[in-house]
Amino acid sequence: MSRSRKTNPTAYRSPEASAFYTVGFILLGIVIAAFLVSLFWTPYAPDATDAASKLMAPCASHPFGTDNFGRDVLSRIMAASKYTIFISVAGVFFALLLGIISGIPAGYYGGITDRAVMLLGNSIMCFPGILLALVAVAVFGASVTNVIFALGLVFAPTFARVCRTGTMEIKELDYITHARVMGVGPVRLMTSHIFPNLIPQLLPATVIGLANMTLFESGMSYLGLGVQPPDASFGKMLADAQAYITVAPWLIVFPALMLIFYILGLYFISEGLRVTLAKGAKR
Amino acid sequence: MQSKARYLAGKIIELLLTLLVVSWLVFAAFSIIPGDTARVMLGPNASEAQVELLREEMGLNRPLLSRYGSWLLGLITFNPGTSYAYNVGVGELMAQRLPVTIGMSVIAMIMVILVSYPLAIISARKPGKLGDQICSVIGHILFAIPPYVASLLLILLAGSVFSLATVGNYVKPSEDFFGYVGCLLLPSFAIALPKIAMSFKFLRSSIIEQRTSDYVRTSKSHGLSDMKILIRHVLPNSNVSSITIISIILSDILGGSLIVEQVFNLPGLGRLLLSAISRRDFPLLSGIVFYLAFITVLLYFISDIAASLADPRIRLK
Repeated sequence: MSRSRKTNPTAYRSPEASAFYTVGFILLGIVIAAFLVSLFWTPYAPDATDAASKLMAPCASHPFGTDNFGRDVLSRIMAASKYTIFISVAGVFFALLLGIISGIPAGYYGGITDRAVMLLGNSIMCFPGILLALVAVAVFGASVTNVIFALGLVFAPTFARVCRTGTMEIKELDYITHARVMGVGPVRLMTSHIFPNLIPQLLPATVIGLANMTLFESGMSYLGLGVQPPDASFGKMLADAQAYITVAPWLIVFPALMLIFYILGLYFISEGLRVTLAKGAKR
Repeated sequence: MQSKARYLAGKIIELLLTLLVVSWLVFAAFSIIPGDTARVMLGPNASEAQVELLREEMGLNRPLLSRYGSWLLGLITFNPGTSYAYNVGVGELMAQRLPVTIGMSVIAMIMVILVSYPLAIISARKPGKLGDQICSVIGHILFAIPPYVASLLLILLAGSVFSLATVGNYVKPSEDFFGYVGCLLLPSFAIALPKIAMSFKFLRSSIIEQRTSDYVRTSKSHGLSDMKILIRHVLPNSNVSSITIISIILSDILGGSLIVEQVFNLPGLGRLLLSAISRRDFPLLSGIVFYLAFITVLLYFISDIAASLADPRIRLK
């Protein structure tokens, strides 16, 4: 990628891509800013209850209102963004790791290795939606670590596929043959000759993976099988808010908006990347 | 003819192998459960003899392979054991809940097709124009809304704006079929929304790709109208890729319905699954998980076969 950037500066000036990037980074920036500020300061303590101010509508002292325990919604949203970001990043990292160490050898060696990896990956992908992650959490117990491992496992086949297809294309190229003739071993070929060239393909997949993982994580937290109380998460906040949906709609609207901002921001950035990379490949 | 048979045979072997691995995954997950299942069920006050008795009854003392064998046999013969918590056959419990989950999936799928096809066709007519861009942006936004959040927002909208109160009243199809469809409409719509966006996106790009191909230009030069080209040539060709997308969407809809049932308080498979999780009812849990995966594998299999029938070139790959 770095080469095409130098030789081809116009590839980055597509108006479509820059519109996606601008909106995407603004939306994502809102959530990340909330997260960063929450590390040092929140308006109130996220789990401080206040019997005097239950279910208050948004006002000057509580801009996003309060919940049924009198907890400040803004503070809780800020605290919840931490888990959303942490779980999606850690889960995608784990999934990437699994996908890379299974996908590249599968594409490189082919044959029985490839078939075994793809069969396992396809079997994992046969569990609809969050089913497999729910089972893993049901068996091992609900905790942030288990959610990360479970979602990492569920998402690994997606990355393994990207790595496999990419490796199959790259290994036919002349520079790989050249390196092999020069006596470069298979491990070194895969790690320092093939892997770096997979990054342009892995990048959009990673960004979409972050968004999809957030969809799954928040769904699990909504069902009570993700982030556990008293820690705040968007999914759990929405689940708790459902009982007050007619009297306190702000309990639904603000966490939902933050969740959507995060996911939508990531989708827009991945669309931008897709446009940029497609333009880059054309030239 | 021969290539057809060979392709089918290969696909069937792949189907069976996948099902085998799926059964391993499910069985392995429930065999490495930390703690003693019999002890968990009876609680800490039960005597060692009672626990031993239950363990024997549930076959927990038998070797792993023999347990796997009888479990798999039960699944294949659609007799997957008895639930701990309900003391009723797993098959019977699932059959009771199936109308909700299947009904929601079917209605959602119909919505996806009814909405995404016209929108994609209109959008693809003039790509890059205002209408197309508006559709695309709305599509991106819908795609980012998790089905359960969409459900909550829809409830909010239905409750405050239209003052409808349909939430949580499930009507059995045997009692009142239209009432049954009616109570599933809102949840199905919530599941369908992101999938409408997904289907729209794929269809649109597939139609645009087809429209720029040579055969469309040739047909145009022969004097065919745009509408005729679209219906006779472009759509059938786009259908091939949409068969694959539809199977993915159906599987996603099935997964999405598991959560959305919970939001609308509908007695479907998702609720059964959650109650099985909270009661640690492993025969029930493993049955639901296996059969849901089974349905998905079957869907992918059917879509592969359908795609190969629609486009014989796939068989040669």
